[in-house]
Amino acid sequence: MALASIDTDASGPRQTGDRRALARAVTFGLTIVLVLSMLFSLGWGAASDTRVIAALFGFEGVSLRDTTIVWDIRMPRVLTGVLVGAALAVSGAVMQGLFRNPLADPGLVGVSAGAGFGAVVAIVLGGAAPLWFQATLGYYMVPLAAFFGGWLTTILLYIVATRNGRTSVATMLLAGIALGALTGAMTGILTYYATDDELRDLTFWGLGSVAGANWSKFWSSAPLIALCLIVAPFMARSLNALALGEAAAAHMGIHVQKMKNIAILTVAGSVGAAVAVTGGIGFVGIVVPHLLRLVQGPDHRRLLVNCALLGAVMLLLADAISRTVIAPAEMPIGIITAIIGGPFFLWILIRNRSLVDL
Amino acid sequence: MFVRAENITVTLGRREILHSVQFEARAGELSAIVGPNGSGKTTLLKAITGEVAYSGGVTINGADTKTARPEALATTRAVLPQATTLAFPFNVLEVVRLGLTAGVATGDPRDAATLPQQALARVGLAGFEGRFYAELSGGEKQRVQLARVLVQIWKPVLDGSPRWLFLDEPVSSLDIAHQLMVMRLAADYARDGGGVVAVMHDLNLTAMFAQQVTLIESGRIVATGAPSDVLTDVNLSLAYGCALTMNKAPADGTPWLLPQAARLTEAAE
Repeated sequence: MALASIDTDASGPRQTGDRRALARAVTFGLTIVLVLSMLFSLGWGAASDTRVIAALFGFEGVSLRDTTIVWDIRMPRVLTGVLVGAALAVSGAVMQGLFRNPLADPGLVGVSAGAGFGAVVAIVLGGAAPLWFQATLGYYMVPLAAFFGGWLTTILLYIVATRNGRTSVATMLLAGIALGALTGAMTGILTYYATDDELRDLTFWGLGSVAGANWSKFWSSAPLIALCLIVAPFMARSLNALALGEAAAAHMGIHVQKMKNIAILTVAGSVGAAVAVTGGIGFVGIVVPHLLRLVQGPDHRRLLVNCALLGAVMLLLADAISRTVIAPAEMPIGIITAIIGGPFFLWILIRNRSLVDL
Repeated sequence: MFVRAENITVTLGRREILHSVQFEARAGELSAIVGPNGSGKTTLLKAITGEVAYSGGVTINGADTKTARPEALATTRAVLPQATTLAFPFNVLEVVRLGLTAGVATGDPRDAATLPQQALARVGLAGFEGRFYAELSGGEKQRVQLARVLVQIWKPVLDGSPRWLFLDEPVSSLDIAHQLMVMRLAADYARDGGGVVAVMHDLNLTAMFAQQVTLIESGRIVATGAPSDVLTDVNLSLAYGCALTMNKAPADGTPWLLPQAARLTEAAE
């Protein structure tokens, strides 16, 4: 993974209450699980496991068909799943840390609503655009519109919430709700004008899928997501301090405003890119950080890395299921993450009520 | 070395809370800020620590706090808020370790592993490392935060310059034994060369431990100086708006106050 781990503390002998060793073990375990999930995802279906490995390492005697399936169809899909899952989970953890609220998710900074609106505009009104425009953008019109929609909303929210160089996190949260309602309404208006086919596209886009992944789509989003994932762990120390409140974090030497700017840009960038490629995939950004906090504690120095790993695993598994349940058709992955994530989340909440109530 | 605040005026909303206040605290002393509810004690502390916008100037060890870098400030002063809630399930050790955010206060990275435990022992919470912060009582939480703040500026003097401890009502939710423990800890920090500025409600503890007392009322300083000079019947009755009678301990002349005496003088009027 692209995530560097930063441990500034000198590791001494283990003390009571020291969960760092546990967190490291979780990182180790999740790395293995992720590698296995990737292999499993690559081998799921027609090509058998041994042939996948043979194709991966370019052994002789592998048929062109198997090589194509593994390298050109499944590999971009698996890698897209890994990056998008990591982006959603890490963004969720960063947002929760920034808003000091375990229920915050990337949707709160307006990325999801804006991206959704952008996608709807492209799907419904895209046909009215000049032909040269449609021809140039082609397949990428919807993802691009989603990306810019997400960015524009986030920047708008940020401007609304920032006064005299200070961003009010509470204002941003409330403005996000207002703007979400507004884009929701405009999306609703557009659905009135949509044809039946467009409506179907809209619905499926909203539920998310990695089925459309190919190498060029992957490379269009991977650099931005990877950059954000690399930046995220450097915010870990600040996010830890921020848990005590903005004033206390500032007293401990954190540049709070700079940190907020970076966090918001990072989340808007990675979620915007992720949503553009796969559509709206819910729940990963809330379930994954929550689950890990209960297991290894809320220290962001390990939490962010582990979120990336578990987010990737969760998306790969959800994708494997989405390809299987109604094969040969595919179920949108957002349905799977919600069907599994919802009850699982409830179960965790019921079991750990004392830890959740703060 | 000093903490100096000059012409501090703070306006919150449309109300002016502090009116051109002067304040000075010396290293090696425990300086207390006392006054009735809403008098501006905490606001003065927040102006000095940069938490609220103010006009005027604040210097710590001669350095202007408005232009100083947060990292540099974090190694010269630490701030204990009145109360702290946490958004996530941190345990006690993890909270105290946050005091290492600005670096290891002794200058020796090897101390990172032992400082949090030493700090917890000093506030009487040894063995609490693995407990969840959210499950502690109010007084225990306040002492965990004090331990965190201590870790941030562990040595009262570093490289020849004093460090500063700003405490906002440090004993407000503590029992009597822990009140004494925390006040002694603060007094020791000052005795060893550091500076302590504490917003206090308890006038008796203030008289016992402070070398300098600043009495504030309606955003203005009423009196400042040694406890026996400031904590007088006239000053206190004026500031608190009820007739109060101070007594003096025969042994060392420390002023003390009984609420019973206050009620009696009120009834006598």
